[in-house]
Amino acid sequence: MDSPPPEKLPFSEAEKIILRWDSTASEEAREKMIFDGDRHEVDRYLQAVDEIQRSISSTSLSDDQNKVNSAVQIAMARLEDEFRNILISHTIPIEADSITEQDQEQQPPSSSSSSSSPVHHEAAIDSNHVNDEANKLFRFNSEGTGSSVSVNSSYRSTSSIREIDLIPSEVVYDLRCIAERMISSGYLRECIQVYGSVRKSAVDASFRKLGIEKLSIGDVQRLEWEQLETKIRRWIRAAKVCVRTLFASEKKLCEQIFDGVGTCIDDACFMETVKGPAIQLFNFAEAISISRRSPEKLFKILDLHDALMDLIPDIDLVFDSKSSDSIRVQAAEILSRLAEAARGILSEFENAVLREPSKVPVPGGTIHPLTRYVMNYISLISDYKMTLNELIVSKPSTGSRYSGDPSTPDMDFEELEGKAPLSIHLIWIIVILQFNLDVKSTHYKDASLSHLFIMNNVHYIVQKVRGSTELREMIGDDYLRKLTGKFRQAATSYQRATWVRVLYCLRDEGLHVSGGFSSGVSKSALRERFKAFNAMFEEVHRTQCVWLIPDSQLREELRISISEKLIPAYRSFLGRFRSHIESGKHPENYIKYSVEDLEDAVLDFFEGIPVSQHLRRRSN
Amino acid sequence: MSMDHDSELDDLEFFQKHVSDRFSDLLSSTIEDPSSEPLLSIAWLRKLLDDFLCCEAEFKAVLLMGRDPSQISKPPLDKLIPEFLERTIKALDLCNAVTLGIDAVKNLQRLAEIAVSSLEQAPIGDGQVRRAKKALSSLVTAMLHEDKDGGIVKGTERNRSFGRRGGNNAAANNKGNFRSLSWNMARNWSAAKQIHAMSSNLYTPRGGESTGLAMPVYIMSSVLVFVMWTLVAAIPCQERNGLGTHSPFPRQLAWAQPMIGLQEKIAEEWKKKEKKGSVGLLEEMQKMDKVGQSLIDFAESFQFPAEAEKLEEVKGQVEELAEICTKMEEGLEPLQQQIREVFHRVVRSRAEFLLVLEQAGKLSAPPM
Repeated sequence: MDSPPPEKLPFSEAEKIILRWDSTASEEAREKMIFDGDRHEVDRYLQAVDEIQRSISSTSLSDDQNKVNSAVQIAMARLEDEFRNILISHTIPIEADSITEQDQEQQPPSSSSSSSSPVHHEAAIDSNHVNDEANKLFRFNSEGTGSSVSVNSSYRSTSSIREIDLIPSEVVYDLRCIAERMISSGYLRECIQVYGSVRKSAVDASFRKLGIEKLSIGDVQRLEWEQLETKIRRWIRAAKVCVRTLFASEKKLCEQIFDGVGTCIDDACFMETVKGPAIQLFNFAEAISISRRSPEKLFKILDLHDALMDLIPDIDLVFDSKSSDSIRVQAAEILSRLAEAARGILSEFENAVLREPSKVPVPGGTIHPLTRYVMNYISLISDYKMTLNELIVSKPSTGSRYSGDPSTPDMDFEELEGKAPLSIHLIWIIVILQFNLDVKSTHYKDASLSHLFIMNNVHYIVQKVRGSTELREMIGDDYLRKLTGKFRQAATSYQRATWVRVLYCLRDEGLHVSGGFSSGVSKSALRERFKAFNAMFEEVHRTQCVWLIPDSQLREELRISISEKLIPAYRSFLGRFRSHIESGKHPENYIKYSVEDLEDAVLDFFEGIPVSQHLRRRSN
Repeated sequence: MSMDHDSELDDLEFFQKHVSDRFSDLLSSTIEDPSSEPLLSIAWLRKLLDDFLCCEAEFKAVLLMGRDPSQISKPPLDKLIPEFLERTIKALDLCNAVTLGIDAVKNLQRLAEIAVSSLEQAPIGDGQVRRAKKALSSLVTAMLHEDKDGGIVKGTERNRSFGRRGGNNAAANNKGNFRSLSWNMARNWSAAKQIHAMSSNLYTPRGGESTGLAMPVYIMSSVLVFVMWTLVAAIPCQERNGLGTHSPFPRQLAWAQPMIGLQEKIAEEWKKKEKKGSVGLLEEMQKMDKVGQSLIDFAESFQFPAEAEKLEEVKGQVEELAEICTKMEEGLEPLQQQIREVFHRVVRSRAEFLLVLEQAGKLSAPPM
């Protein structure tokens, strides 16, 4: 409804209107809100306010001045309440689903690690990771981070910031009308106060809807890491919405209402609204960044780091005024602490691998849980190599090369020159794993089993590295060759430890009696030989059937290798000397096994199944 | 090779002496020249924090530098250091709570500035007085003890414009504003409880322990507790009900005398205000309260035009209020930054101690 162009309102008229709406004076004034009612009424009131303001400069008599100032105060008090009321009643309530990220958050693919890993993990490669790889490379190709980041950030943030309308635009117009008048009357502070208090409640309500919790640092220290992982995941989702939509929209609203009305007023109102909530939001990430370091935390901390790094350009954009310095600074501080935490955890992990103290030998010489854990862990590290390559910039510090300290392995880092620090760390981890395994192998009473244990575990390491392109690339074929050599060496040592003495029974020397034309094979020595061989073989067979080589190919290879030495030796021994035994009494006591028997028996080895079961199976 | 016994003793003695000297200085500055840095003023608090940072740096040097790190993991430190580190966690939360509290004080400053700017206009008329009164009443209401629901509202309720369903009035909103600014810590978090927990397991080392490293740990813990307690007493923050006022430090400790002296002075003030319900002992806030009340009285009895004598008096008070606002304007932000620095330092030291302890294998090995 268009009112006719307002004629100049005489002061007395204007004053009457102002006084009519003095809420301290009448019940009626208290019950109704001007801006809720007739548009005509609104225009008249605003016109009255303008007139009163104009009168300030034109009155001279102190009595009149007092009247005018009094009217101004009443008008401002009224406008303050109207302002508050409009803000409160027209806030569009934010629905949680309407402000969640539009691009889907891919469910993190589970890593390709073995199911027996004791570690809970997720290779949480965010969709942002994948999509923004190109951007990331661009960001960090050049020398410094400063300028290249900002060049890229504006591109990125225009696509990621998503403002919404918190208040309908026609209402914004009314708010602006009021704000202009309050500010031009010198009531700026009141205006900011009202605005800030109402909007801040709105932001608090949105926080609740987003599930943002208020946790103290003490709380975060006390919670179980698994619970924290869930909270971190939730925080990452919520933080994106907060920065890119919630805060950005509040900023836009401030600009819509206050832009041009005075210098930096929109900044002041914006900070009044969001400073507290922003600090509350970041405090959680900060609490995580200072929590005690332990290996299982690495990957979630990297997730948090990456999410925050992703947000920094948007944070810088939304909090671009001088008064919001502290927020930007805090975000940067948290990011750097998270990076430090990641580095510390890696170091802590390396220490833990070196110090892992369990002395109980794994039965059967099979894969030690430590081996599985470590290989799973570094496999995950390779999944996160993009981020970690940037964070890990120095070589491992644990480990004094050639220090003579028997409690740490030696390692020559010079030959790894040219490799990325992260790759060197991975190799180092494998070195210390082996070092620890070597110590563990000494707890076996049987030396053969020690060698088998080492062979199994190092082979497992090799298989794991070979099975992953990233790992293989990072660790490199040179070191892989070294590892391969090591497990082959262990296999050889095993064979020597077990079979030399068995095969010794089948040697020629000492069986022939010297002198005389007659053939001269000492029958008694021969009988002893056969008895010794049988006893030893049975012993070895009984013992080593229960040992385990989990990898079927390796198992086969070792059995074949054993057979290749054992079977021809036995066949030849039998061939040459069986007649001597068979010509004597009870040959069956000495020649217990045929060649086929031995061949079958070798197939029993390293299955992890006791002999009795094998024999039972064969007899059926 | 760690330092020989003699120089090690000097190290610990110096630390003790320096702590004592610094707090002695803080105490005497309030007696000798109370106008420059009154007890619990912003300037005095900043000095307190500076002293804390110095003590902390020296403490770390005494414990970590030139010393075999494994000493930290031997008894009794193997228990005392983790306890100390627990206290630092509480201190970090307290830093955050106090920082939020300072935001609330900034809000009070802005309310006061409204009053100043309106009463600075001459001649003072009805409009200005009403405006000032409105702001000052919100100010004074906000300063009431945070736990008294609804507050003991001094003066009339006319400072608000009108009441709509839902508490849509200036006073409640400003008080609500005040609350919602400070009370952003976790639910059930209580500053008073945190302080209490920090001091509850603080035992003076006895006998042989008193000459070893246990003593500096005790001293630093005491300093930490004292500083946090002081901050909480001065700055409004979440849940200070039940803040303990008795000294946790035994009187016979020589180095603790200045600290005990300060603590007693502050505790006395606290007890006085607690009855009336006051939100913080910050000297500037106390002055603001006093001047504010006085100006409200003036406003309530105001009739235009006021007498020249009265106006002269009010002019002086407005100037005083303006000065307080200036001090706040200049000092609160740096104070927050200092607290943030304390936060950073505590985090860093904590990390260093944890590293040493973990390397010595004294902390529980991470699960594998």
